[in-house]
Amino acid sequence: MPKKMLRVDMTNLQAKFEDLPSEFMALGGRGMTSTIVAKEVPPTCDPLGVHNKLVFAPGIVTGTNAPTSGRISVGGKSPLTGGIKEANAGTNFAQKLARMQIAAMIIEGKHKGDDYYLLKISNNKAEFMSANKWVGKGLYEVYKNLFKEFGDKVGICGVGIAAEILGAMSGLCFNDPEGLPSRYAGRGGLGTVMASKGLKFIIIDETGAPGVEIANQEVFSAGIKKLREALSTHDVTKPGGALNSYGTSVLVNIINEAGGLPQRNFSSGQDDRSQNISGEAKAEAIKKRGGVRPHFCSPGCVIQCSEVWTKAGGKDPVGVLEYESVWALGANCSIYDLETVGELNRACNDLGLDTIEAGDTLAVAMEGGLIEFGDGKGALRLMDEIRKKTPTGKILANGTEITGKVLGVTRIPTVKGQSLPAYDPRAIKGIGVTYATTPMGADHTAGYAIAPEILGVGGQADPRDPKKAEMSRNLQLATAALDATGYCLFIAFAILDIPEGLEGVVESLNGVLGTSLTVNDVPVIGKQIIDIELGFNKAAGFTSVDDRLPEFFLEEKLPPTNEVFNVTDEDLDSVF
Amino acid sequence: MTIQLRIFGDLRKKVQQNVEPHGVPISLNLDASEIENIADILEKFSIEKNETSHIFVNGIYAGFTKKVKDGDRVGIFPKNMGLLYKWYFTRIEDE
Repeated sequence: MPKKMLRVDMTNLQAKFEDLPSEFMALGGRGMTSTIVAKEVPPTCDPLGVHNKLVFAPGIVTGTNAPTSGRISVGGKSPLTGGIKEANAGTNFAQKLARMQIAAMIIEGKHKGDDYYLLKISNNKAEFMSANKWVGKGLYEVYKNLFKEFGDKVGICGVGIAAEILGAMSGLCFNDPEGLPSRYAGRGGLGTVMASKGLKFIIIDETGAPGVEIANQEVFSAGIKKLREALSTHDVTKPGGALNSYGTSVLVNIINEAGGLPQRNFSSGQDDRSQNISGEAKAEAIKKRGGVRPHFCSPGCVIQCSEVWTKAGGKDPVGVLEYESVWALGANCSIYDLETVGELNRACNDLGLDTIEAGDTLAVAMEGGLIEFGDGKGALRLMDEIRKKTPTGKILANGTEITGKVLGVTRIPTVKGQSLPAYDPRAIKGIGVTYATTPMGADHTAGYAIAPEILGVGGQADPRDPKKAEMSRNLQLATAALDATGYCLFIAFAILDIPEGLEGVVESLNGVLGTSLTVNDVPVIGKQIIDIELGFNKAAGFTSVDDRLPEFFLEEKLPPTNEVFNVTDEDLDSVF
Repeated sequence: MTIQLRIFGDLRKKVQQNVEPHGVPISLNLDASEIENIADILEKFSIEKNETSHIFVNGIYAGFTKKVKDGDRVGIFPKNMGLLYKWYFTRIEDE
């Protein structure tokens, strides 16, 4: 059975299945979303207008029994950056879509009027229902009720209250295995794009789904066996390894020790109170107070870095507290207790916010004097301003750059309008190059992958050495390729050190697609994707001037290492 | 005359008995006069080199021969916490 595309026309409330064009057959994830966005979305269009489109695509191996492969990519023109965007998440929604052989879902048009809709997709059928009764409600309550109404086997994607006010920091919220609204394709405001079209929820019911077609089962099985072996034996990814024991926020103490964990709106790179919100502290707390650790974001993951954080006594589950979230809502706001960080994360999930953008926005609001640094209760009150859709809430919901400008803050940590994640580019310059040059706006995941020795990442790798262009480029190419597969980026740790693991990844792709790719094709695939994205951004009006970090990173020394970002413009321009 | 040592994760068992398995780092002060480099610190606590991943001296990613002196801050992470984008880093050595 050939793969399908589902085209959803929100203007006329019609949805139809189409055959997947043959030139899209080997695409998945970010490769699929960026290709379709570049082909169908005018680069200069209004991101919240009738011409923008939202494209969903599971990865190439998503929906199979390949380990740690439950990722979905979502693409469109970002209302935050004005450029092309791909955001991805790990969720069983991705696997269901793939098993229904829907390789791409395109949401287009724009419904006139104030009504919101729910799209229910089942095998070969898509229908619209009114979603008005869910408007203005928090996603924890709504997801509980949606599962009650549609059955606990469905997958849900939705947008929250922040998207209803077209706040550009609204993410797309997918369910976790417990049904909690906690797995986000968070970055770049794609939730706002969905809301702007009048679409509030997508429910997917895979009953009767045919499953993912695998062209060569033997090659596929051999490949995933190698990958599973690598993931199960590598110190970082194996059961009992750091990701499994502590979650992603094991990075809190590591980056703090490296002097690169931004504190107090990027004014220092180290504060030892950060250990109170570290992965180690969190794992210990979950053991004492209830919750689940480890946990998985989607079935079939070997790593299982996720968790269910709750209030004390195991009540009111939040979902996972990721490294980026704990940093953004914690250290970057000078908030160092997990209880408060957990409640802020709950507020973000409930309102439909990207936690990175939300945390950076709160920190800028603190610097602008709206509340004091460290004021957790005040931060929760600001979240309520968004919930109540007040003018203050509407400003905050538009993210770090707008909030900073409104409040007269000059230290605004954004690139292309998107706020920086949890690694200060002055202490770790390579990632600063990636923040500056990725087509996505400041994004840590854009240059995160794959073995330097395999992909020829050469040159000096001293974090303080400003010569980073080649390394950043190679990492960005490798990451773009990985984002197309459906595998989680964290498999990089294992396939970096265990060559058979990377071979296994490539064999699993060949197994599904019936191709004969080699490891050497990985950066080529990545380059094709990035070239498409760069082309879109160029046509949207981006120039090299947009590939820069804010000036304060070049001028203000970062304690305790007292480094500045000293990569030259020439080096930045040599990346692509 | 001290070096501030911070030990993380499973390695905490090497410097202190009866620690919680997943707790926050142990911070202790070492007499700087008996320590010349990172390898000396590892030896003092019977930590094998292959039991470590990231080592930092004052925020600088360091190797086993990196010299340490009075007032330095040293952080040592166990093997299973090797999560850095390690291709962004190279160990600074003194020999």
